[in-house]
This record gives sequence, structure tokens and C-alpha cells, in this order.
Amino acid sequence: MSYDYHEPHSLDDALALLTRFGDDGHLMAGGTATVLLMRQGLLRPAHVVSLRTIDGLSGIARTPQGGLRIGAMATHRAVERSDAARGYSPALVDAFASVATVRIRNQATVGGNLAHADPAQDPPPMLAALNATITVRSPRGERTEAVETLAVDHFTTSLSHDEVITSVLLPPILPGTREVYLKFLPQTADDYATVSVAATLRFADDATVADVRIVLGAVGPTTIRAKRVEDALRGARPTPERIRDAAALVRDEVDPLDDLRGSADYKREMARVWTERALAALTR
Amino acid sequence: MKFTHTATVAASRDRVWAKLMDIPAAARCVPGVASVRAAGSDKYLGTLAVQVGPVRLVLDGDLVVTARDEKAGTASVKADAKDSRVGGAIRATMALHLSEKEDETELRIATDLAVMGRIGEFGQAVIKRKADQLMQDFADCLARQVMR
Amino acid sequence: MSTHRLRFTLNGTPRELEIAADRLLIDVIRDDCGATGTKLGCGVGICGTCSVLVDGELVSACLVPAVFVDGRSLTTVEGLAQDGELTPLQDAFIRDGGFQCGICTPGQLIAATALLREHPRPDGREVRDWMMGNLCRCTGYYGIERAIMRASGAGGQSDGRGLGGQRPPSLS
Repeated sequence: MSYDYHEPHSLDDALALLTRFGDDGHLMAGGTATVLLMRQGLLRPAHVVSLRTIDGLSGIARTPQGGLRIGAMATHRAVERSDAARGYSPALVDAFASVATVRIRNQATVGGNLAHADPAQDPPPMLAALNATITVRSPRGERTEAVETLAVDHFTTSLSHDEVITSVLLPPILPGTREVYLKFLPQTADDYATVSVAATLRFADDATVADVRIVLGAVGPTTIRAKRVEDALRGARPTPERIRDAAALVRDEVDPLDDLRGSADYKREMARVWTERALAALTR
Repeated sequence: MKFTHTATVAASRDRVWAKLMDIPAAARCVPGVASVRAAGSDKYLGTLAVQVGPVRLVLDGDLVVTARDEKAGTASVKADAKDSRVGGAIRATMALHLSEKEDETELRIATDLAVMGRIGEFGQAVIKRKADQLMQDFADCLARQVMR
Repeated sequence: MSTHRLRFTLNGTPRELEIAADRLLIDVIRDDCGATGTKLGCGVGICGTCSVLVDGELVSACLVPAVFVDGRSLTTVEGLAQDGELTPLQDAFIRDGGFQCGICTPGQLIAATALLREHPRPDGREVRDWMMGNLCRCTGYYGIERAIMRASGAGGQSDGRGLGGQRPPSLS
């Protein structure tokens, strides 16, 4: 590791630095992933631009409409401890609380997690299931992007090098909606998931499924939205048989790899099992 | 790490063979390959740039055709390359096999890839996915070029 | 490489250092400040041996760029006992056999200190959940859990399940 370190005091200054350094610059939020990549020798930026000294990027608050806004520099633990976040969705808090250890959650940030685009991370599937969007600033202005489409490959997002995630916006949750985050961890609790399932489901007045979103983690190069499972449930009465048949469709939607957490075939099967469990939990 | 890729080309086996054995042209079908040049008989030098998220690798190395049998439609290729910036190396042996089926030719590439040094820090899963993408793109590109 | 002037307090004592941009907190604490109670274990944020408190928050010193602690207050294992008086937690670690070889103990003590500040009377599951990320290669987990329970005022009552396990989901 050998780099020049910069602590801009405004977002505009940070953007100017990122523009100036181009591919030689690397943005650092909490630093957990960046420090690891640098220590491993995989990442060798000439300049590190820190967001640490920029005010106003770490708040967590309900929006007037009933949604939730999380500043990109809020730590995972800040979300975990936030009454606003818990009031919005306990399942969202579960997803953040599932990440690694207290120590990592005290340092790792919400924006950094999304920018790192690790497909096995816990928050992205839950944020995507809750239909979250991120706000992105660049010298060209501000834009929004769905969390669901942010990651495009392993550790790769659609962000360009001069774009900074400033906040995550979660829309209001419609009445009658339930949410769940399930993480399948056969080994230690600080491990990455073998498969994780984030799901939201809203019942119509006639007890059919008005809407459902299912997003899986750790079983593809990005998080995977299980659209065929959703389609098989929307408008239907979620009986155990219907759920079982719908969950079986997830096997063809995921794209897992063999690794030390299991073979691809095993993970496909676990994706089915845990999708069924998530849906059972939401319709019980 | 072992994987197998196949691509079907709507051309005769002879045409696919000729394309495949023009190594500098065939190598350009691998995304990220630059400057492949001959360095002796059946030996070539070149670079391959690979990007995974924020990590950029520039693999410098050589490629040797260790065996070829036009009659059987088989060839063996060995590639050795290293990245001096990140620190690490790869070694790949590829067994190529062409088989004619009616008007089409099936190209089959069996790869055995070894990853050494820091590049291994990516984790086998990511490396395998990346190598998988590269080889499939290569096979598809080759198929397109022959048919052109 | 750029250098940076760093001002922080270490266990209550103000420190001022000039450091290179890429220094990690663990190295500054040990090498520049001479506070070698904090140990370096895995170096990748997993084992918990380098646990320290930054403004009271538990972090892995091996993952924190030292420049991040400018203006902050640091607590390491050396800062727990006051005027030679051990904290109840340290005392409980001794009485309940909360350590064996001792290499993980500074990290265990710091992690447990943070736990008891946030949950003064944790139940066994809360202790295991929190301490799960602090590895003891002697596997002395029962003693550690017992000590934390004793220090919390629960009188060393553990449910005997040891550290580890999985969090159940909650529904909304």
C-alpha cells in the first residue's frame, strides 16, 4: 500500500478529486473492503479519496411519505440501532445485523456495501426486495438508480469512477405488506451466506397475493430477483402447495458457483428450500 | 480449476481448423487480449487485460501450441502469464477438439487453469466465473468469425 | 505518499503523530505508541484479536486506516484498569478462567467491555452473538462467557451452550 490520502470537506471537492485522479483514484467510505483489497495487493490506487470528513452523509430518518432515507456513510450498526429503521422494517434491520461481526458493522457503511457489489452480502437483496433506490452524485449532477440494477457483475457496479452514492431511499411500505430476510449459514454466524433470501409480500383484501418481491443473495454474480417465482404467486392464494411449486422455479433463476460453501447443485437446492421457507414465513 | 466450453459453428471442420490455428487472429477473440505476436515456431507472446470490479490485471505471457493433429482435429495449447503489478500468475492448458456434424462443426475446449500468487485472493469462484466468461466469449467470437 | 498529522487520545492520554497515509491503526498503536497489549491476529478483520474501541465503538484495528482516528478517542486493553484497579470484567476473567494461552484476551476484554456498555445485563444468547467474532484458539469459550455473565451481575450463570450459533429471523 502506498498512496496519497485526501479528506475533502464537501461532496463537490470529493467529486473534483475523483475527476482529477480518474482511474488512479479510489473512493473510500468505511474502508473495510478497500483496506482488505489493498492489503491483499489486489487494489493499488495512487490516490484514496475519503468521505469521512464530509458532513451530512450519515443520517437515518423516515421521509414525510413514510419511507426511509439512509445516508451512504451510515454504518451498518447505525442502521441496526436506528429506531427509524426498525420502525420502517425490522427485516431491513435483520439484514444489516446479519453482516459479519459487530466490529465490521461499526466500520462498514451502507453506501460502501452497495458500491463494493459483493453478491454474497446481506443488505443488497433486502434493499432490492424493498424496492430501494440510491441517489448518486457526479460532476454531471444527481441521478437515482434502483439497488436491484446497481450491481452488474461480481464486485462491479454500473457506477462510473466519478460517481458517489450519497443516500439510499426506501419507499413507503404499503399496508398489508410483510417482509423477511433469511440467511442460510451452515457454519459460523459471521460467515457469508450459502444462500440468502429477502422477500416482501402484500396481501390483497381477498387474501390473494397482491404483490411479491423475492431477491436472493450469494447464488449468482449479483443479487438475483426471482421473477418466475413472483409471477407464479401474484394474484394467487398462497397455499403451501402453491408456495412449494413456485419456490421450485427458483432453481432455474439462480446461477451459483461451486465453492467451499457447497456445490452449485446444492446451492440451487438450498435456494429452493430457503425461498419456500421465506414465503412460508410471510404467509403463515 | 477445470471447465469445458463448446460452440457450434456453421462451417466445415477444415475452415474452423484453419481459423483456430491462426493463433494471433484467434487470440484476438479473447476479450482483453492485446498484441499477440509470434516468437518462434508455435510460440506466441501477448498480454491479456482483465478487470474484476476495482481490480485490474495485466497478464503478460506466452502461449505455446504443444501438440496438433489436423487429421484428428485436436490441438493442445499451454499458456503461462503473470501480472507483475498485483503479483501473481496463471497457467492454463487447453485441449481443443473439433468434430464435424453434418454441415456444422463443434468446437470443444477443455481448460485446466491454475492460479498462483495474489490473483488467487479473488477466490476461486470469481476466477472461475471470469475465466468461464472469457472462454465462452472466445468460442462464440471464433464461431462468428468463421461464419463471416 | 502523503503524510498526515494525527491528534487523538489513547486511553485518555493526548497523542500527536505524523504518519504516512497507508498506516493501519494496529501498527500505530503498537509501533508508534508502544501500546503492545493489542495483538495482531489474522490481519483481515475476522479473528477479533486486535479489537479496540474508537469513540467507544468496537472495531478491528487491523482494518482501520490510522488517518481515520484523527480527533477520536481510543481505548485499548491498557486503558481498562484505572489506577491499578482491575475492572469487574477483568477480575471475572481471572476468577472464571476467561483465558488460557492469553493471546486473544486483550481483544476479548475489549469486545466484552463494549458489550456490557451497550447491554449491561446480556443474556447468554446476546453474549454469544456479540462475542462470536472474537476467536479463542484454545477454545476457552465457556470460561469467557462465564466471566462476562459474572461481570454483568448474572453471577456466572450461563445456559451452557457455549459461543456461536445462528440468529433466528424476525418477521414484521
